[in-house]
Amino acid sequence: MQTTPDTSETDLKADNLRRAAIDKSVKAPVLFLFTNGAFWLMLSTILGVLAAIKLVEPSFLDGCPYISYGRLQPAHINALVYGWGVQAALGVMLWIMARRSGQELKSGKSLLITAGVFWNITITVGILAVLMGKSTSIEWLEMPEFTWPILLVCFLCYAWPIARMFGRAIRPEGFMVSTWYILGACFWFPWIFITANVALHCLPGLGALGAGIDAWYIHAVILLFFVPVGVGCAYYFIPKITGQPIASAQLASAGFWTLAILGGWTGMQKYMGGPLPAWMTAIGAATGVLLLIPVGLVGLNHHLTALGKHSAVATSPTLRFVFFGALFYPVSGLVLAMNSAFWTGSGLQFTQSWYSFQVVSLYGFFSMSVFGAIYYIVPRLSGCEWLSVRLIRNHFWFSVYGISTIVIMSLVAGWQQGADMNNPEHWDQNFMNHVLNSRPYVVSRAVAWALISFSNLMFLLHLLLMVVGLGRRSSAPTLLYSHHDEHAPAHA
Amino acid sequence: MSANAHPDSTDLDRIHSAVKREKADLPPESQPAPLWATFLLMLVAIVAGGQLGPMAGGWSFDVSNPFSIAAGGMDPRPGADGAGATLDPFALAMKKGASGYAICGGCHQGNGAGLPGQFPPLAGSEWVTGGTERLIRVVQHGLVGAITVKGQGYNTPGGMQPFGAAMSSQDLANVLTYIRNTWGNEGTMITKEMVQKVRDEEKRATQWTEAELQPFADKNVEGEIPAGPGATAAAAAK
Repeated sequence: MQTTPDTSETDLKADNLRRAAIDKSVKAPVLFLFTNGAFWLMLSTILGVLAAIKLVEPSFLDGCPYISYGRLQPAHINALVYGWGVQAALGVMLWIMARRSGQELKSGKSLLITAGVFWNITITVGILAVLMGKSTSIEWLEMPEFTWPILLVCFLCYAWPIARMFGRAIRPEGFMVSTWYILGACFWFPWIFITANVALHCLPGLGALGAGIDAWYIHAVILLFFVPVGVGCAYYFIPKITGQPIASAQLASAGFWTLAILGGWTGMQKYMGGPLPAWMTAIGAATGVLLLIPVGLVGLNHHLTALGKHSAVATSPTLRFVFFGALFYPVSGLVLAMNSAFWTGSGLQFTQSWYSFQVVSLYGFFSMSVFGAIYYIVPRLSGCEWLSVRLIRNHFWFSVYGISTIVIMSLVAGWQQGADMNNPEHWDQNFMNHVLNSRPYVVSRAVAWALISFSNLMFLLHLLLMVVGLGRRSSAPTLLYSHHDEHAPAHA
Repeated sequence: MSANAHPDSTDLDRIHSAVKREKADLPPESQPAPLWATFLLMLVAIVAGGQLGPMAGGWSFDVSNPFSIAAGGMDPRPGADGAGATLDPFALAMKKGASGYAICGGCHQGNGAGLPGQFPPLAGSEWVTGGTERLIRVVQHGLVGAITVKGQGYNTPGGMQPFGAAMSSQDLANVLTYIRNTWGNEGTMITKEMVQKVRDEEKRATQWTEAELQPFADKNVEGEIPAGPGATAAAAAK
């Protein structure tokens, strides 16, 4: 895999052919995951708009029980997490690991497709069950109990070949920088998923601790699954496209291990001051703040890598998405630290700022990075180039504005809600007044989800055209600002 | 959807163009991290450490409120519940009443001097230090119309609002004890039971006037005075 400038012409050719063969071997499962993921993303954002509208105008489409807020919001988040998030992550993980390890996907392609089909059927049934009122009422695990063993097996069907590729790889220097995140995600998700589901569904009489375990599950899935995949993407694509090596192998190593050690300790601070043993929330709060260290190390490394090389962001769609995803990573770390620390958390507890964290980490950071990866991977798999610069550009800007609006508005709304509730001057205000005060923020949330839905519609159409092979027939990449010379720096 | 399905899939050059134009995977460098980053991360660790310590509640499975440590320790926050346990009832009422007075201070001012013509003073006021029955009734039900305090006339449009409905009898008792013993005032403690007694006797929905309250001017509500000035012996023994 490693090519150095002095490699002879024939070696380069052989290397190109090898990479093309790897791409071909993972084509079917990866495109399957991306396409289905994009459909779920579309659905999820539409449900997000409806849920936000229901918050502002509870009488909207009154009398239809399937779209009451209590069913819409879980359906929206579950479609986002399991429909889009995990599927897109698995696709990216499979492709990056295959490329980094230099291994073709030798066998078991039909098993992967079967697992993918079962994953999608299970989620469809699960989300329909949520909309019909059969939710388990456990946040992020609302789909009925029978779904989780199926989802787990399907996930393992993907995790196994990815881990095996890693095991067989010849590991040149710097091999680990992106791959250890991918490998970590393969192992961490099953661990978190089994722990949370067994604890919540199989252990009797958990009481308040159940809520704490659920909060831990949400944070662990974000920090030990979605974040590693996003960081892995950034570490792979930023040097690949800028042609600039990662600045510091030591920082990369430290960033990975601090995340690996700290990621599974946080979450329970959601119930600070609640009926959980105090040390559990204290550890969660301390870790929530400490997680700024891996976030800072990765951010610093990206900063040092990209220093002075930002021009490619203007042309390459991949780099632009990955770059903005990487910018949202420190933001998500700061939001988590503010929610976690007791000083700020006492105000932000149980407010919209927790939604802000979920959206910024899952959408702003993870999904933006994965969009970038998809813009890079799909042309290599489908054999054609992205059709339209305008579609990509719109997808990017509508996403950026939408996510930023949700994150900032939810954060400010959370701050205001918390400050109002804790203010002794408001002793004579009833709770409903606080709810009404946050209405403008929820309106902006509905508008933002509408913007994001629009951007996803364009993304979905574009991706479908690529998958059925209707992309541009050209040997030049689709760049956001075209150079007159077609053979100019190729950033795509 | 195999690549062979494309009519021009024999065009190997085009098919492979994407992999051809890729840049090589580069090994990472070893640039040094700037020193300020190290200090910043240390700061993060210090802030994170602040979440542990007393917040961890002694690392016990039985403690969910980090501020009351299992072994009967005290709440480390100033003015919190744990601190009150060691104070006598009068000192506790004074302490809590002082924070409750924040609401009264908006009109009667922090120094209890009121505003001439509008809000009567509490410091040295015969309404405050006099009979407890009249004082409780004023705060419980409100007061409207012209009144005379310390020889000066006051008349606020709308008068004083009733606070009884919004405050517990304990809170009300604390605030009244506080104003009766601050700014040079000295008076007996008003207890929760006294406030409750007045509440049970009088259920009016309108504000009092000065004339209506005249019969209560020097009347004290009966009840034990556990501590403070004029404490009754029976209660002191308790």
